[in-house]
Amino acid sequence: MQSNRMGWILLAPTLFLLGVFGVVPFLYVLWLAFQRWNPFGANPDIVYIGADNFRRLVFDAEFLASVGATSGFVVFAVVSELILGYFLAQALMKNFPGKAWFRTIHTLPLIVAPIVVGSVWRLMTTPSIGIIPHLLDEWFGFQMNIGTSAPTAFLLTIIMDVWHWTPLVTLTLIAALVSLPPDPFEQAQIDGASKSQIFWYITLPMIQPAILATVFIRLMDALRTVDEVWMLTGGGPGAATRYVGLHIWKIVFPKTDYGYGATISVVVLYLTIVVCWLLYVALLAPRNK
Amino acid sequence: MRRDRPWLNVLFWVAMSFVTLFPIYWLFVISVKPAVDLFSTPEVILTSFYWDNYAEVLSDRTLRRYMANSIIISTGNAFLCTTLGFFACYALSRFDLGGKESVFFWTITNRMAPPAVFLLPFFLLLTQVFKIGDFILYDTKIGMILIYCTFNLPFAIWTLRPTVDGIPKELDEAAVMDGASTWKVITQIIFPLCRPGLAVTLILTWVFAWNEFLLAATLTSFNARTLTTGLSEYVTTTGTEWGVMASIAVITLIPALIVFALVQRHIVSGLTFGAVKG
Amino acid sequence: MSFSLKAGASALAILLSAGAALADDAFWKKAAEPYKGMTLRGVTEATPPSNYISDVIAKEFEELTGIRVEIETTSWDQMYTKAIQDMEAGTGIYDMVYIEQDIIYAYLSRDFLVNTTQKLADNAALKAPNYDEANFTTFANYFKGDNGDLFGIPMEAFIKLYLYRTDLFGDADIQAAFKEKTGRDLVPAKTHAEYAEIAQFFTDYGQANDMELWGTTAQAHTGHVASWYEYYESVAPTFGVYNWGIDADNNYAASVENGGQMNSPEALAAMEWWLSMRDIAPPESPASTWTEVGTTFAAGRAAQGLVYGENAAWIASDESKSRVVGNVGVALPPLAEGVMADAESGAGYIGYYDGGAFGIPVTSKNKEAAILFLQYMAQEEVQPGWAVAAPRITHTATYEAPEVQAMNEELGGYYDLLRDQGYLFAGAPPYPFHAQVREATAPIFFNILLGEVSPKDGLDQMAAAAEAELKNLGYRK
Repeated sequence: MQSNRMGWILLAPTLFLLGVFGVVPFLYVLWLAFQRWNPFGANPDIVYIGADNFRRLVFDAEFLASVGATSGFVVFAVVSELILGYFLAQALMKNFPGKAWFRTIHTLPLIVAPIVVGSVWRLMTTPSIGIIPHLLDEWFGFQMNIGTSAPTAFLLTIIMDVWHWTPLVTLTLIAALVSLPPDPFEQAQIDGASKSQIFWYITLPMIQPAILATVFIRLMDALRTVDEVWMLTGGGPGAATRYVGLHIWKIVFPKTDYGYGATISVVVLYLTIVVCWLLYVALLAPRNK
Repeated sequence: MRRDRPWLNVLFWVAMSFVTLFPIYWLFVISVKPAVDLFSTPEVILTSFYWDNYAEVLSDRTLRRYMANSIIISTGNAFLCTTLGFFACYALSRFDLGGKESVFFWTITNRMAPPAVFLLPFFLLLTQVFKIGDFILYDTKIGMILIYCTFNLPFAIWTLRPTVDGIPKELDEAAVMDGASTWKVITQIIFPLCRPGLAVTLILTWVFAWNEFLLAATLTSFNARTLTTGLSEYVTTTGTEWGVMASIAVITLIPALIVFALVQRHIVSGLTFGAVKG
Repeated sequence: MSFSLKAGASALAILLSAGAALADDAFWKKAAEPYKGMTLRGVTEATPPSNYISDVIAKEFEELTGIRVEIETTSWDQMYTKAIQDMEAGTGIYDMVYIEQDIIYAYLSRDFLVNTTQKLADNAALKAPNYDEANFTTFANYFKGDNGDLFGIPMEAFIKLYLYRTDLFGDADIQAAFKEKTGRDLVPAKTHAEYAEIAQFFTDYGQANDMELWGTTAQAHTGHVASWYEYYESVAPTFGVYNWGIDADNNYAASVENGGQMNSPEALAAMEWWLSMRDIAPPESPASTWTEVGTTFAAGRAAQGLVYGENAAWIASDESKSRVVGNVGVALPPLAEGVMADAESGAGYIGYYDGGAFGIPVTSKNKEAAILFLQYMAQEEVQPGWAVAAPRITHTATYEAPEVQAMNEELGGYYDLLRDQGYLFAGAPPYPFHAQVREATAPIFFNILLGEVSPKDGLDQMAAAAEAELKNLGYRK
């Protein structure tokens, strides 16, 4: 065994950077969560108000609705991305002509900035003049209006997210699949295992850590989404797509309700950590024993 | 060997590419149309091209500066995060450090923070804490490279960990037995075997930094402004300049594509195992 | 003074000031001497007037004085975020900030801005000989503190007005069809009923003739505050509901039972009328912000509508962006009875007077150089070129400049309307809690638009939400 000192040395820059730019801001936000601070209130000063913000949060119907909408969005988007991304990663493990090209094309959405993605999807879906409602009307006589139909807007945010972020899942899973050692698979084939047996008993357990990492990343990024949805729907119609990231944004910036915004952030952060921790423990802990 | 039917794969990927490319094609369509044409019956096939948006964008010097900033910040940050993440993963994987699984989990919590309210402490950190005389980290490229570590470093650690864990310990133990230093083990044994994972991490951290908007918009003002913040200049109360915005977006696909082409090759180059899995 | 006399006098004034400009070069050079080599930083929204400052005026100023001016242009919400953050934390990053008319009260309430009148009075050496606060239009009054001192130098001003298609309104066949159907002549509406009649007529006409044409625009986005603004800035006042229906002198009451007007019968009538217009507007309207409304009109999809002045200009004149160039007429919005009298007497207003100014944050480290630049920007001779590049007017004399007159023709008389009837319009009410109350009530407003709550119940809820927010902020006792 090598000396642990070397291990800490290798870890030190990471701990330092995340300590300064992660922990310190967090402590500041945590402190802020217990203050009332609106620079444009009648009293613009920072006032300590104990747990009042938290009390307000529990009864805040807008916040609860936002959490509900966000959960739906995140679950649908992330699950679709995971399944689709896995199959595409598998498909890209095979050899066929033009593979490198197709892989590059598939990853193209990643390099379009979210604010641009939101803009393009907005123009593609503008009622009556966007290309999508236009074709739907022409081909099926279906009237699509993102401005009046909440399910349409909700679905579109998911489709947009899947379009934009599935390549991320594909890429990380390719990296995992590529690094798998070949022996277990050869052995299984010799033993006459079926394709689905190989998937459930060999592939899946072996790439589970990578899947978990990918799910985590997508989960927390989807929870933080602001610019794409803001551009596409502005959170509407009504509050149908006012997801938590956007909700906090609206409270912190236009409303300048810094204290309450900090409270929501802390609670959302806490909930995210709990969900991720449960997933982490449930999926990885038994394996590590 | 499996009975693969390559033409079926090709057919599938042609269809898939069509779906993937359509919004990007539409981005191009928007960029070569006068604004008023966006509000008339749309046609899938372009019949005429309007290049004024590109003329406007290409003649704009500030945009070139934004582009340079974006490239420097994304590339610097991607290399920094991938390198540090790689070291951290090696430490977490090979050393028996107390509480290391908690540390591992803690790193990712840094990516979970909803950005809006954290902009405030970031701003204070960069303007008031990191202040040496008149120099502040606010609106500097190095400041942005460091700030981007909050979301990219956890990402790098989490995507690299399975890869590093997957390399049999026997390999480095044998090398250590032969008297190799830790440094040598990392660079000569682990590194080559991690190439696919490192390439993917590099690409994706680069992408996240390249696309980042909220932090760049708030924490830069002249010297370190990036392309994404430049794009937002075209969203105003008077109206959104869709065409100009789209043409910038199309132009900025080019450096991103080059980076992709350079790095993507490594995803498979380290590949020594068969392609038959599942 | 008769019009021609006034025009003559102003033309003379311009001639004189052009001569004076050369002499003034000496002033700028001398006054700027101590600040040479300094860099001023400003933040503003990336609109044409602001771009003109950074592309033209800043460059001239630098050449003349050796003071560098960097103007950061960004999006509207980013601009506020950054300016407020800087002034709140006292960092001193910016020497100049853009102040939109609706946020000035918030900034003044926090003493964020330098009193420019005072500053110039205290530093005679900084006062440019050709700078005079009396040159500004009355729009400058919005940027004055309680004592009448100026806290921001006006840089843009527009009104939101009633646009109609002169080609459609002037078409003999259409006129005849309209007369037959309604018994009236087809002329721009004066009342809401007339407006609705015309709107319905054109929507039907578009349908009957298989045209992409509707009778009115509607800025009715169901998730973006643009819709909220259209109602409170441009529709409610024409029904006699001013200042969002909140009574500042009466403990900031919003609901009728407390003495406000937010859920009054007039507010309800305004809402119902507006919703009925939305229903016969083009199908994109529920997803339309100011951007889409401008483009809808420019694409020829609407026969009439309420459009911001800054957009009216390019719609009427820019062929690369608009299909209705030369076919745009401007008029005052349709009004309910008594509103015009209110506006004439100053008790009310008929629409939105929008614009902004440049101010100096008290946290700036280069206030002296900044005030020089602001005065430079406010010179009479700078104005006409600026007005032509971006349709904004902040100085009385600018209306008479020949290039502005020529543009006025092109814009269907927009500048005449701004000059002669601008006083009937008003900016946002003097509330330091502008964005806060807007955000608190907007979700309910969107539900009204979606039909999830009736207009009546929705307005009741909004009034209650506004009062609750005002209480929470500490304004309502």
